[in-house]
Amino acid sequence: MRVAVCRPQVPFVYGGAEIVADDLVAELRLRGHEAEIVSVPYGWEGMRVLDHAFIWRLLELKGSPGKPIDLAIATKFPSYGLRHPNKVVWLLHQFRQAYDFDRTEFGQFSESPLDRATRLAIERFDRVAFGEAKRIFATSGNVAGRLKRYSGFDAQVLPHPPQKLAYRTDGSDGFVLSVNRLDRYKRIDLLIEAAKAEPGLRAVIVGEGPERGRLEQLASGMNGRIEFTGRVDPDRLADLYARCLAVYYAPVDEDFGMVPYEAFLSAKPVVTTLDAGGPLDVVREGETGIVVAPDAAELARACAHLAAHPDEARTLGEAGKAVAERVTWDACIDALLS
Amino acid sequence: MKVAYYSPMPPSRSGIADYSALLLPALRERVEEIVVVEPGKRAPRADLALYHVGNNPEAHGWIVDALKRRPGVVVLHELVLHHLIAGITIGRGHGRGYLDAMERDYGVVGRLLALGVLDNLLPLIWETQPERFPLTGTVLDLAEGLIVHSSYVERGAREAGYGGPIWRIPHPTWPEETIEPAELAGDPLVGCFGYLNMNKRIPQLLEGFTLLRQSRPGARLLLVGDAAERFDLDRRLERLGIGDEALIRESYVSESRFWALMAACDVLVNLRSPTMGETSGSVIRGLSLGKPMLVSDLGWFAELPDGVALKIPVDEYEAPTIAAALELATAHAAELGAAAREYVRGEHDLGRVAHAYVSALEEAAGGEAVSNAMLLRIAQAATDAGLDDPSEIVRAARAAGLV
Repeated sequence: MRVAVCRPQVPFVYGGAEIVADDLVAELRLRGHEAEIVSVPYGWEGMRVLDHAFIWRLLELKGSPGKPIDLAIATKFPSYGLRHPNKVVWLLHQFRQAYDFDRTEFGQFSESPLDRATRLAIERFDRVAFGEAKRIFATSGNVAGRLKRYSGFDAQVLPHPPQKLAYRTDGSDGFVLSVNRLDRYKRIDLLIEAAKAEPGLRAVIVGEGPERGRLEQLASGMNGRIEFTGRVDPDRLADLYARCLAVYYAPVDEDFGMVPYEAFLSAKPVVTTLDAGGPLDVVREGETGIVVAPDAAELARACAHLAAHPDEARTLGEAGKAVAERVTWDACIDALLS
Repeated sequence: MKVAYYSPMPPSRSGIADYSALLLPALRERVEEIVVVEPGKRAPRADLALYHVGNNPEAHGWIVDALKRRPGVVVLHELVLHHLIAGITIGRGHGRGYLDAMERDYGVVGRLLALGVLDNLLPLIWETQPERFPLTGTVLDLAEGLIVHSSYVERGAREAGYGGPIWRIPHPTWPEETIEPAELAGDPLVGCFGYLNMNKRIPQLLEGFTLLRQSRPGARLLLVGDAAERFDLDRRLERLGIGDEALIRESYVSESRFWALMAACDVLVNLRSPTMGETSGSVIRGLSLGKPMLVSDLGWFAELPDGVALKIPVDEYEAPTIAAALELATAHAAELGAAAREYVRGEHDLGRVAHAYVSALEEAAGGEAVSNAMLLRIAQAATDAGLDDPSEIVRAARAAGLV
């Protein structure tokens, strides 16, 4: 089968969505399919967001004579606007600024009539695009729920496996690991505040982002209990997963969250919050991790509890591993190509 | 976005005032600022003006005046506006305005009819056959967009030549509250709420109720609302032999009393013919209480799902059909009531209605500017690329919902 995997690309930004699309192409090829990434640069400021949606709309992926494209798999806004008779959407997320982020600190549309109407145009575009799809999958219950709530479409939940790493378990060196882009809504500051409240808590924070300066400032004067590593290579990342006590992952209403799966494949429990969204599909209180209110003191208590009960931490991590191992590329590709 | 909001408001005795009292708080949760404009006050600066228009000149005349000064989005609560237009023209000593309005909508024939009315040669059209001459053109000309509650009114507006955007948004329902039913007996107790006149098919209801009493002697009829000036209710009751043992009368009642009375009923009747295209707040209230409901099979009422209300055709068998439907409604009260409540909870949910309003207002305020900006950029890109005719590209943008 000849498959086009479609994703928008913010120039010079490579994150979870890009990894998923690349992995999907690689896995399709492993199974004997012809697969390629179709990508268009993406920007979302002001009305430019409509221009980019429209660029995708102008793409009619027919392929070339003798090499028709059998299937187009679109991943996120606005790539699902492309035209193809066999379009499948595997939704990572819609343009959240137009929906749940609207009129919040994370939104981008003001109260001006022009901004409000731009947001409406995105709503309309989504309804047209999803209405054309042969099948719609969503990477988490959270993403599927939002799609139903805001656009009225049902989606089958189909999580994807995390990136390939040399996952292993090397006991515990007692630190809590955070792997995330350093953005405000990823809520790394909550972990630092928790470490301030719990003197025994050490944390390693992997990732880069606009919040790094503020977070380092917040962590100053803690005798090196908070370590910022910046980006790390895959071997180092696997090593950190293997040696940590637990993984902290608590963005605000996250779409999916690959990190819990990576933690689980390293047999580590995940500490998250009640409002984390997608991660709650797999991080379950007392089963695969600890779920607390988004409060530094509660988070500190949860981390201290795991440090004091290493057997329990191990049990939770092992249970998580069993959950993560059920999410395979075989299952994903079977569903997408069915 | 700032919206100037024109509507009669309580304590005005108007269904539209009740409607706005219900809707406004939900809208205010979703719109940056809404300024409710009072009659005689200066128009505030706003991104958009929203006008609630009904057929009553006392309640809505000043709103049409404001609409004339500044076009905006019109909530067309009724399709027939003849009484309103007559009120703000002839009623203000401006007969020429009435002639012009009639000519605008119905040509020379309309002008001649209007002359006949002004010269007392013809009966008043708004009292005798308003549904044939709805006279909506004056308002439609000024509407930058229309919000309507039914397909019936949407069709009527289109047939009247309206070419602007129309958003069909259901009448909202009231939040569910525990209501203590009034202590009234009746087996069954049949309720009819609202102004009592010929349009509400009160004669047919009384006849149908009399037929019901033959098989259900314990049946009682509750009539709530004032009787129209020229509607001789007492004579009709006497002629049909509907005495005090079978009848309970209340005139205009407070909102809380209204709910308590409605909650006490076993079946509700809300008939209408001819229809002015109106939606009935009473029907929505009754359905929200899970009451079996009889309505006329026309206009907005006919658009209610079949399992939710019993629809009475307006024909020569109307009275016996009403009697049979009352029997049926009593026998299947539980199923009909459950379906009614579920329907109203979904279709008429206040939050959903408010959300649809906000989308309509936002589209009206900025939609054209966004579309124009998109089209300009498409045209610019096409020109830069040497394309003389970007119409194909524009069609693609339109199909994608982007312009």
